[in-house]
Amino acid sequence: MPLIGALPQPITSASLVFFVYLVLIVLLGSALASVLLRNTLYGIGAFAASMVLVALLYLAIAPFLLVAVQLLVFTIVSAALLIGLLRETTGLKVSSVGRLSPEWIIGAAVCAVLFALLALVLGATTWPVRVCCALSESFSGVLSTSYAVGLAVLAVILGSAALGCGLMLAAPTLPSPRGGGSTTPRGARR
Amino acid sequence: MSAGLNLLLVASAALFAVGVFGVVARRSAVIMLLGTQFMFMAGALGFVAFARFGLGAERATAGAAMALFAGAVAVAELAVGLAMAALIYREHRSFAVDADRG
Repeated sequence: MPLIGALPQPITSASLVFFVYLVLIVLLGSALASVLLRNTLYGIGAFAASMVLVALLYLAIAPFLLVAVQLLVFTIVSAALLIGLLRETTGLKVSSVGRLSPEWIIGAAVCAVLFALLALVLGATTWPVRVCCALSESFSGVLSTSYAVGLAVLAVILGSAALGCGLMLAAPTLPSPRGGGSTTPRGARR
Repeated sequence: MSAGLNLLLVASAALFAVGVFGVVARRSAVIMLLGTQFMFMAGALGFVAFARFGLGAERATAGAAMALFAGAVAVAELAVGLAMAALIYREHRSFAVDADRG
């Protein structure tokens, strides 16, 4: 009897292989754009796109719970933190295009249609989850039984991080010899 | 043509390299934080790839659980790092991490 069993077979389904290659290429392009772009807001957008693409990649090779957490929790929390930082510091420039302009309406409609199509395909066929991700064990069940201590440690880490952030941001900033300190403009003080 | 462990490990290494580039080559604290996020992402991708295609595939949920924990720790690290970036900005009116050099 061999000590090491045979490795699982790679994905050979043509459509799934194409999907994986496409997602990987776009993911690397998006990651490169994220660190190369001069505009921080665009960089954050490319970063959020990378997180979504990783979730799409997980759709083909990982349990569905990981996909959902990556897509709905990690992506949204990271993007919200980054955009919150920009709002608190440099500020977000107000778009010159009005909110009810045709550009916004068309863009929102296209996004809605694409998301609806994705939801329809996932709901109707469960592709590619059904093709590639037929795990015998329930991921959430394993998490709550085998990794209960890990989840508790994770909760402590996240709580500590939130507390540390709050304390750091609430602490008063000492005036610097080169200026700085308060974020309010000096001309506004009368 | 197939997609297996080698492809995902190469992609993971490339993603890690992009993250290292962001940390080493850029001066902005925000971009450096994004670089560290990419490095976390690359590690998590490696865990998932080994869990799906490697010898640990009999217990594939272990790698996915590691990826989940790595993602959560990455978010916590991002939160603390962004608070530090906000403090740097308050002090120097810039996200550049070497703004203190004068």
